[in-house]
Amino acid sequence: MNELIPLMVIVPLMAALLISAFSKFNKITKIFAFVVAICLPIIPLASNYGLHYFGGYAPIMDNVTNVMFHPAITYSFTFLQQIFIAMVGLLTFLVIFIYLNKYKEVSGPYLFLLFLGTAAVTAMLLTDDIFHMFVFFEILALAQVGIVAASSIDYSYEMALKYMILGSIGSPIMLLGIGFLLALTGSVNVTDIAAAVHNGLVNVTSPVFLMSLALIFFGWLYASGLPPFHTIKSGIYSKAEPHGAALLQSFTVISMISIVLIMFRIYSSLPIFEVLIVFFSILAMVLGVSLALTQTDFRRMIGFLAVGELGFIGLGIGLGTQFAITAGLFQALNEIMITALLFIGFGAIVNATNEVDTRKLGGLLAYHPKVGIMLLIGGMAMAGVPPLSGFQSKLMLVQASLSCGFPELSILAIMVSIATFVVFIKTFYAMFLRPKPNDLEVEGKEVPRSMIFAMGVLLIIIILLGLFPDAVTSGISNFVGGIL
Amino acid sequence: MKLYDQIFDVVKQFKKLFSPGPVTNADVSGSITAEIFLIVSLVISTLLLRHVNVLLAGLVAFILAIVLISNIPLIPKFKIEQEDSLEKMLFYAIVTLAILVTFLYWGGNLV
Repeated sequence: MNELIPLMVIVPLMAALLISAFSKFNKITKIFAFVVAICLPIIPLASNYGLHYFGGYAPIMDNVTNVMFHPAITYSFTFLQQIFIAMVGLLTFLVIFIYLNKYKEVSGPYLFLLFLGTAAVTAMLLTDDIFHMFVFFEILALAQVGIVAASSIDYSYEMALKYMILGSIGSPIMLLGIGFLLALTGSVNVTDIAAAVHNGLVNVTSPVFLMSLALIFFGWLYASGLPPFHTIKSGIYSKAEPHGAALLQSFTVISMISIVLIMFRIYSSLPIFEVLIVFFSILAMVLGVSLALTQTDFRRMIGFLAVGELGFIGLGIGLGTQFAITAGLFQALNEIMITALLFIGFGAIVNATNEVDTRKLGGLLAYHPKVGIMLLIGGMAMAGVPPLSGFQSKLMLVQASLSCGFPELSILAIMVSIATFVVFIKTFYAMFLRPKPNDLEVEGKEVPRSMIFAMGVLLIIIILLGLFPDAVTSGISNFVGGIL
Repeated sequence: MKLYDQIFDVVKQFKKLFSPGPVTNADVSGSITAEIFLIVSLVISTLLLRHVNVLLAGLVAFILAIVLISNIPLIPKFKIEQEDSLEKMLFYAIVTLAILVTFLYWGGNLV
């Protein structure tokens, strides 16, 4: 059923618009949002792999040059898109489920932003058109700003505004880079651009082509939250509602991989491209984890850890081999789930204690054992403890860097994993294991069941992927083989 | 004893990182871990330069190690540079853009 391919974007987009328009009907809005949210992970699983040409404009073969042109905006749906869109769909469902359970009166504009963000990342993953990708990248940036600004946390407006101001640098710079590519190749279709580059129709050493790489790469740094944007990225996570932060980090990961895969197809012939990715990934890992070690606000701590984990994804893609890219993409999938679990779990603690400072918490294991144990397993998965999914992807990354002849990167990856483990154990001890401070009030404050349910679902997937990684890695590896 | 005093001073300076509020053992040990992690990871990263030139990698790693160790504590300095100030975020964003564009446009054979 290839007709379902465009529906993956259209359904959340239409839902966003309808919910925003009819948000004064609270009960109908809640039911409608719930039904659409259930559909989101089902549509990609029910759809067949294939291509969708908007407007029905099929590719045209130029009989003189034997080159294929793609006049339509094209959506490409393979196993990689299927697994990531299904995962984001599932996460959107869990987040909306938590939100609908938490508030009696729901906010139409907030639900609009959640669905809009999901539609945007889905389109970014599917599209084979670099300008189309940019349009949804902009929509996503606005949705992210809105999700942060809509939270009830202090200074969330300020952080959202800062993110928007930085975006006003990152986005136009990326657009300028896309403009340079268009000027060089006469196309915005990624397949056409890549064909022009690899067939020698574009001089890859020309300053304009190199400049387009620099500009698009800078936009990618903004989208991914890699340095120098790691501070603002961790900041917006900490100022969003916990369930919102869980979704925001998945948006970041998806936009990171969708843009880098497009860049990889165009610029992989330039060795400097991979060097740049590895350089910024190392920076993200080192800065993210070392700053996480010094945080006392546990939401900020998870924010910095999430940024550090992005470095692992970049590392895999920067190494450039089939095995390494597969490892990087598998790590991306794991990070979406693990970080979401941690944001929701720590959000449950905020809900129960109204406290985010680890120095003022303690003894919570006696009050919230289920949350504590699930958070412990989630933290271990993030640190790469076997047999959880994070271990499998990090082991693959270590093996990939060793086989590429970079043992330094393997050592660094192991060190970052150890430091992540230290961060998590330190925080877990401070919040759950040490004696409860006398002035901390936790009695009578229950963690919402919807949060426990969401954590349980994510935890099951983390454990299953840890035990059976081949269920996704073989499909991802086939996809990577196709783009190399 | 001089090195011991220097490390002890570092621990005392970590207190400022967590003010206002109490400083726990876990916070200080976390900061020491971050300090060691930062130095070791940056030095190991410079070893990647051996793919350009082995002598260069050794020299840069040696000099960097000396500079980093003699400037401890690094974490408070890093943390100040990476706070939520819009000016600093904009500064580093623009510096990164400038370096990227300069390097790729005029990088010559290095690119």
